[in-house]
Amino acid sequence: MHDNESRRLSEERNEEHVAGLLREAAPRLRTRGDPDESVERMLARGTDRLFSCDSPLGEVYVGVSERGVRLVGKAASPEGFARRYKERFGRILSWGTDEKTYRLAERIAAALAGEKLEVSADLSGTTPFQRRVLEVVKGIPRGEVRPYAWVAREAGSPKASRAVGTVMANNPVPLLVPCHRVVRNDGTTGSYAFGAEEKVGLLEGEGVPVGELAGSPYVATPTTGIFCHATCRNARRTKPENRRRFRSAEAATDAGYRPCKVCRPVVAG
Amino acid sequence: MESELGSENDMVSLDPLAERLADGDPSAPRELVERHHAELHRYARGLLRDAPAAEDAVQEAFERAFAALGRYPEERIKTLSLRPWLYRITLNVVRNVWRNSHREMSVAEPPEPDERFAAVSGPASGADREAWMDTLEALGRLSERQRVAVSLRYLEDLPYAGISEVTGWPENTCKTLVHRGIGRLSVLLSDKSDEKGGS
Repeated sequence: MHDNESRRLSEERNEEHVAGLLREAAPRLRTRGDPDESVERMLARGTDRLFSCDSPLGEVYVGVSERGVRLVGKAASPEGFARRYKERFGRILSWGTDEKTYRLAERIAAALAGEKLEVSADLSGTTPFQRRVLEVVKGIPRGEVRPYAWVAREAGSPKASRAVGTVMANNPVPLLVPCHRVVRNDGTTGSYAFGAEEKVGLLEGEGVPVGELAGSPYVATPTTGIFCHATCRNARRTKPENRRRFRSAEAATDAGYRPCKVCRPVVAG
Repeated sequence: MESELGSENDMVSLDPLAERLADGDPSAPRELVERHHAELHRYARGLLRDAPAAEDAVQEAFERAFAALGRYPEERIKTLSLRPWLYRITLNVVRNVWRNSHREMSVAEPPEPDERFAAVSGPASGADREAWMDTLEALGRLSERQRVAVSLRYLEDLPYAGISEVTGWPENTCKTLVHRGIGRLSVLLSDKSDEKGGS
């Protein structure tokens, strides 16, 4: 009896001792290395990153995945933007506090300001058609505009003008893919996700003669027998006295002109 | 409400950080990591014995947690008890590691002495360091459930109700596991000191 009692006591003592050793071990089980770095690594792997920057549309929020820019847009608050991002892509956003995001933010700010810079976009959430359309639009140079029908044809779906309009309206990366440079087939600027007036402002800022284009989006040159989109670099080189304006490509071909091989206007039929 | 594991207290007072995560606050993910990664690391370290493996596990746990937050509706995030939730995710990750390593080597194999402790053990005397390192090493030889329960009780200092919340095991089961685990540890350690010629 006495033996049992003392064995129990010594067991208890041993167990207390073990528990004490574990408690002693606990504070020593720290991560090695720079804790900031490991936090940063977890954020980089688990979340997409957010920053805001200036643009011709004012301050915009930019959400980037590991592969590139996924969403550019305006919002009343960063939370609002993050909620929209999550709804669209099923990923959460954290402030981009790492070196990689800082560098990207600088490049994107420059690209948004109109500098010619290649910025990779992550279009993984889009359909192949949407991607083709966005690729085509990405190639429209600053200072030039193209009609919806042209984008549709260039994207390989000539009858899909309307669908192009929808892709433009949902463009996840406006400005980087300059959907504001896509206008109606009659040369008027049309609508824009950020408002029709913003679109006019952006185009004027890029040197597009918005007023002149409305109703006469094509320019032909009698000396060459060629007609272009009015903002095609070839058309802009034409002397003012040699310009003939047309409201449609058909009217230009009817008058005996052939389409420019650089800007490739769409001729119906 | 949605989780039978959540205690009533969690439902009464929502975690402000959970609300901010639900709301899309872009500062919240960093705070979640900063607030919990040390304890999760300690937990994973108790379960895995190898510091780099524990770091990988915690990294993956956060990755899974963030992916889940990207999928969960706002209402669900708001009512999450973040701490037990993260512990559960970490344990799932650790279980995967166990499963994979069991395929590679026998568990009965005695662990290599871990040199890495030296780097973080601070000014403790040599003898002390030995003792807690041995204890941790022995912890790795308990059954998985005992290891979980003992780690949560003594490394994380959770009460039995908390251990039950994190593991989903009944509180009495947790008590039994901790008690038996500690008993086994004490046997393992006294065997060890016998080998060395007693202490």
